[in-house]
Amino acid sequence: MGATMIIVIDAINKHLFGDVLDEMFQLRARVFSDRLGWDVSIENGREIDQFDHLDPLYLVGLDDEGNVVSCVRALQTTGPHMLSDVFSSILDGEPPLRSSRIWESTRFCVDTARLQRDGASATAISRATCELMVATLETCRDAGITDIITVIDPVMNRVLKRSDNAPYDYVGSVKPMGKVSALAALLDCSDERIARVRAFAGLHDNVIATEAEVLALRAARRAAEAGDGWMDGQQATSLPGYAVAASVRPTIGLRALAG
Amino acid sequence: MMHLIDLSELTAQRGRFDFFLEQVRSRFGFDHVAYLGANPVAGTMHGYVTYPEEWKRLYIQKAFHLIDPTLTIAQRSISPVDWSRLEQTENFRKVFNIAHDFGITSHGLTIPVRGPYGDTGMLSVTLDTSGHEWKGRIASAIGELQSIAVHMHDAVMNSDAFSNVLRHSLLSSREIEILQWTAAGKTQQDIADILGISHRTVEVHLRSAREKLYSLTTPQAIARAIALHLIYPI
Repeated sequence: MGATMIIVIDAINKHLFGDVLDEMFQLRARVFSDRLGWDVSIENGREIDQFDHLDPLYLVGLDDEGNVVSCVRALQTTGPHMLSDVFSSILDGEPPLRSSRIWESTRFCVDTARLQRDGASATAISRATCELMVATLETCRDAGITDIITVIDPVMNRVLKRSDNAPYDYVGSVKPMGKVSALAALLDCSDERIARVRAFAGLHDNVIATEAEVLALRAARRAAEAGDGWMDGQQATSLPGYAVAASVRPTIGLRALAG
Repeated sequence: MMHLIDLSELTAQRGRFDFFLEQVRSRFGFDHVAYLGANPVAGTMHGYVTYPEEWKRLYIQKAFHLIDPTLTIAQRSISPVDWSRLEQTENFRKVFNIAHDFGITSHGLTIPVRGPYGDTGMLSVTLDTSGHEWKGRIASAIGELQSIAVHMHDAVMNSDAFSNVLRHSLLSSREIEILQWTAAGKTQQDIADILGISHRTVEVHLRSAREKLYSLTTPQAIARAIALHLIYPI
């Protein structure tokens, strides 16, 4: 079993995972604004930028309770993307790479605070990080992508290096971005690199979950939240439709007691 | 395997886009190959297909392009869309129930392309074969199909008069430097050693330079770079 279940979300299946994406935008706000101090705009506790409106591809990691704990975003370099439009200063005024075989990845993050609160060890956090890296590399490889250009900060750069996933090169130079600095790194999506990261984290199974698996996990979580202490012993997964009714029931019980 | 003739070598030739799709079809052994592109700058749509005439006529007559999910939904994805992801939709059944009567399979893949000016394109391929065989064929062709999709898209967009002026991606100094050394006959490893960068970095910049120059091959890109005075002939 992996530490996380990773779902690939794009324009075609996003209607099934609206709540997952909403939680993801909240995670990004906590990580990039609150924790890392990046110069990003937050609205209503969510970090959403212009590129989120272009139907990018997301990979989102969920813990075994169904909480969103990691994410990353990918865009084609042939169309509008961050390095061409907002991070161009990193490239020292040079035009960006443009290729059907290169995707840009941005907003890679893992909710280390949540995982720690859940009692996860440093190994488990590293494992969750590597699972997202492997899922990203494999998704790109399967789409015919040879290389990823990724906009990261020096902290992420160290994490990549520590996970036997060091960039093979950098483009442009390190530039200040708010309280931190940003740089553009190159990663190949080769089987060799994927094998290295998998070996480092001891990942042998599939890291990408099916839509059905993730929908069941989320339904179980909703049922568990709604029915806390009420549905004693019942299989939460079999009761997604009861979520609303279950949230009403305890109130009635309390009223009856007070009356 | 035969080489595809670069679309820039066929400039001004009538029927060159149909010819290119036929090349792609026979090279990979697909049943059919189709391209549809939209250019919001010029306000034009372009379609090229290898489908039989009768199906083409019916498709246009029924305005299927407005509901066909292999176009309308696949367009919004960034990764190639296997049509199995779309077959649950009502419109998919509507289009492909009739397509089957024309011998057109519902085993297909759409590769969406996004250009820099809001332009979008889609290259689709179909093959009537078992699920297992289909997966293998796509896995081995997917990388090249990505390159072919953008090559076709760029050539079609550039055929619109206004866009031809607007649409050129600037090359970076590194891309130009690498093209210049390649023109001088250096291998990618030589260039990596000369510039003190990795072999892969040379490869990735060359790939990008080729696409910015609308070329499928490096020699074609060198020829265009010389013609545009980006590098010196050696």
